[in-house]
Amino acid sequence: MLLMSGVSKTYRNGSVALKNIDLHIKPGEFVFIVGPSGAGKSTFIKMLFKEVLPTTGKIYVDGVDVLALTDKEVPFLRRQLGIIFQDYRLLPDRTVYDNVAFAMQVIESPAVKTRRRVMTVLELVGLKNRANAYPAELSGGEQQRIAIARAIVNDPIMVIADEPTGNLDPETSKDIMRIFTGINESGTTIVMATHDKEIVDAMGKRVIAIENGVIVRDDAKGVYGYESEH
Amino acid sequence: MSLSTKEYFVRETFKSIKRNQLMSLASVSTVALSLLVLGIFMVMVFNTNHVAKFLETQVQISVYMSDSASSETLKATEKTLKALPGVTSVKNITKDEALERFKDRLGSQSNLLDFMGDENPFPYSFEVHVDKPERISELAPKIDDLNGVETAKFGQEVVENIFRLTKIMRLGGILLVLLLAMATLFIIVNTIRITVFARRREVTIMKYVGATDWFIRWPFLLEGMFLGFTGALVATLVINQVYGAILNSVHATLAFFPLLPTWPLLLYIDLTLIVIGTAIGAAGSSISLRKFLKV
Repeated sequence: MLLMSGVSKTYRNGSVALKNIDLHIKPGEFVFIVGPSGAGKSTFIKMLFKEVLPTTGKIYVDGVDVLALTDKEVPFLRRQLGIIFQDYRLLPDRTVYDNVAFAMQVIESPAVKTRRRVMTVLELVGLKNRANAYPAELSGGEQQRIAIARAIVNDPIMVIADEPTGNLDPETSKDIMRIFTGINESGTTIVMATHDKEIVDAMGKRVIAIENGVIVRDDAKGVYGYESEH
Repeated sequence: MSLSTKEYFVRETFKSIKRNQLMSLASVSTVALSLLVLGIFMVMVFNTNHVAKFLETQVQISVYMSDSASSETLKATEKTLKALPGVTSVKNITKDEALERFKDRLGSQSNLLDFMGDENPFPYSFEVHVDKPERISELAPKIDDLNGVETAKFGQEVVENIFRLTKIMRLGGILLVLLLAMATLFIIVNTIRITVFARRREVTIMKYVGATDWFIRWPFLLEGMFLGFTGALVATLVINQVYGAILNSVHATLAFFPLLPTWPLLLYIDLTLIVIGTAIGAAGSSISLRKFLKV
């Protein structure tokens, strides 16, 4: 599903974000990326959907050489990925339904298919009854559920989440993780960068720890391994 | 592109214009003003060209023969003149005709000529018309050298001044068009930039969920084109009304003044302004979007 070989990234200001990363993530895996702030987790995540380019190395997503993609081809890679951020990144002037449907509209999905699929994913994340509400009327957890619904509405092969529970309380975080587990169980690969010790320790999934741009640990059923920052 | 996508683009375009009503109004006004100046200048350039062409056709070489020239010489000269390259017509003006013309010009004061008695001081002459005014300065000296010719005259200064004026007008016109186009472009770029900036979050999300650059670009492009088009439309309406009014008043007072009629002049100008306005709108949008599409 994801293959990284000799990936390094040095930013223009000279700071080294990643050093010689070799990594293989199989289809259907649930992988946590952990590490202290500034370890290179965000750079790692952004490389998966070609927002950041590595200085050296190769990245393959589902067999596709990401670096060989032209600017015109990048949108088609992103359509196969569901991307989730800590700050939800919702459109405040659109309803829950429209925020999710938006992801299908931009890939020019037929209206009937969009309607059916959006209602299905809203049901999956437990927001079917709030379809006509606006994000500001919802709690943080509910807003993150909209973002998850938007990320999975196009049936991605891999969901990439950058600190999805970073703004949520422990109970809400657990609810969110239940949704992620459900998505993973349906066969979707999940790569999640997180600082949430409780969640990582409770899930018992593969944990890759990055420190100073280097993978220092890669355990099949790992733990967070740092002091909790929450 | 599916129908629902097209609907989406149009909906987004008008939503954005509505959201930035004031800025949109400012853009339309500025585009209208710039294109109005451009349109007025175009009307002036076209009409100057027209007047210049009209005056050019009026230019002729007057060939005055010496009194000593025999009728054979006059015939031979006429033949030679007709054979010159570019000469379209040669008209004979006899001494009597020249006198008559002068009398006509004097009108009621023609009795001033009575003191001359039977004497006619006017020479025999030819009026030579040519196909292109540029030929005149080249032909005149040749004619001047012909046997029996006293002098060959033409309105050299008038011709040269007309040429100079039309050249300046054309060059100035191009420069002005470029300057105004740049100013209009700048205004549209800034308007759309504000719109894009207000919607940068949306643009970023679109990029993350896999929208192509063209999908993102279309609503903004349509918005720019709509603003440019509307501005141009306002400018053409004003120009059409004002030029029609000017034409009417000129016809009423200076009927002989050779102004171009509204048709097809205004059609050309209207089309040009609308194409320029719309194109500048589209270009402005593309320029302001470039930075935001790099996600």
